[in-house]
Amino acid sequence: MVSLPRDISPGTAARRSLLADLLIAIALALLAFQLAAGIGVVGFLALLTILALVLWIVVEAATRKGFQSRRARRTGGQKRPSASSSPS
Amino acid sequence: MPQARPERRYVPIPLWRRARRILLLAAVACLIPTGISYVSAMTEKHNVGLGVSSVEWLRQHGGNALVSQIENWYYTLNAPEKGGPPLRSLPQVGLTSAPGSGESASKPAYRPPRVTPIIHPALPGEGVWKPAAKGAGPQPPVLLTTFRSDPEYPQFVAGVAWIDSTRTHLSYVPGLAEPPPPLSHRGPSEVPGPLRKRVVATFNGGFPLETSNAGLIYRGRVKEAMVNGIGTVVEYRDGRVDIVRWHRGPQAPPNVWFAKQNLPPIIYEDRLNPNLSDGPEWGETVNNAVRVWRSGLGIDRRGNLIYAAANNQTVESLAKIMQRAGAVRALELDINEDWTSFISYRRPGAVSPGNLLPEMFRPAERYLTPDERDFFAVYLRAGKRW
Repeated sequence: MVSLPRDISPGTAARRSLLADLLIAIALALLAFQLAAGIGVVGFLALLTILALVLWIVVEAATRKGFQSRRARRTGGQKRPSASSSPS
Repeated sequence: MPQARPERRYVPIPLWRRARRILLLAAVACLIPTGISYVSAMTEKHNVGLGVSSVEWLRQHGGNALVSQIENWYYTLNAPEKGGPPLRSLPQVGLTSAPGSGESASKPAYRPPRVTPIIHPALPGEGVWKPAAKGAGPQPPVLLTTFRSDPEYPQFVAGVAWIDSTRTHLSYVPGLAEPPPPLSHRGPSEVPGPLRKRVVATFNGGFPLETSNAGLIYRGRVKEAMVNGIGTVVEYRDGRVDIVRWHRGPQAPPNVWFAKQNLPPIIYEDRLNPNLSDGPEWGETVNNAVRVWRSGLGIDRRGNLIYAAANNQTVESLAKIMQRAGAVRALELDINEDWTSFISYRRPGAVSPGNLLPEMFRPAERYLTPDERDFFAVYLRAGKRW
């Protein structure tokens, strides 16, 4: 019997998770095409969904960034030096 | 002794984020075939803007109810208010006839009676028929007039055209996309070059087949099965044109050359359809009570055609306009500003085209280039002089 390796790298695990999600998404898309009156409706709703989700992601990222910068200001503006920062 | 590297572990993303990712991927997957269909449709030949073409594409791909619902909301929110300042003049339509030109009138030519104005005092020229073409003689093939159509909305002006069936011949012309393929003998989707010297008028057809749930016979063959009870413009093989409530079943009767159906008749045997206020009977279109550009085609007691169009009309108000203009049977044709057109040609050769009403959205040259939708062309009969 062949089994999947138990010890897998985090990258592989992430890829597998993405693949599983992609398969579920394709199944959902096929279901939508089956149920809808036509591809026009599916496309229209898909476009609205993408716009809404992208807006959500952008707002979430902006909020997180704002929250982090406020926290940084509260702690006296001490930032951890990033790897790319060069010494002055 | 070397220190062991800390083990990197995969931290699973939260369930809600995963659901969001799945939804996003599904939406992108849905857009791929849709996008291919949309782009290929948009790259085809069009004579309307991208917005209108996009809406039409959506309608043709299952989105008719969705588009109609959005249109209903839009038009309801932008409904005109009653009242307002009265008009001082009407748009000038038609030309002053030059007596003595054209055919010799051995017997007096029939002219329809003036359309009785609804609002008093009447404005100059209100309801008075004028020839559509220059030098049309004592028996012009097309007459035009305008009148205010609703006392509650004194600024609404209806444009009406009367077409002499004894001098003209009605022709159904398929458009580039309507009726949809396959269709043999589609033709150029514009007024054909050789027939332009005889064209006197062109006007819009009905709803697309997909949204009208009605039938079409073209060149004696059924393109879409005919539906009993639906208002139908019929041309028989002997050239006679009529507007009927169809009762001859789904197939093409042998004496019919073309028959275009569009919704139930709005006037039948001189009576308004009693169901003009009922929504569902009027199909998956903009609601019957929503005020938009509407057009209709009727027939008078003598068998002459009457076309009417106006902005801000309901199905019922359109029917009343047609009845006042003399129609005893009538059906609604296409609606919305993008599709409503009546164009008359002031000189032979399709020269100097003019819209029935100046605020008609589409250019007067609309049917001299290939058009998306089917339309009707009115030609002078062979042997009849301009």
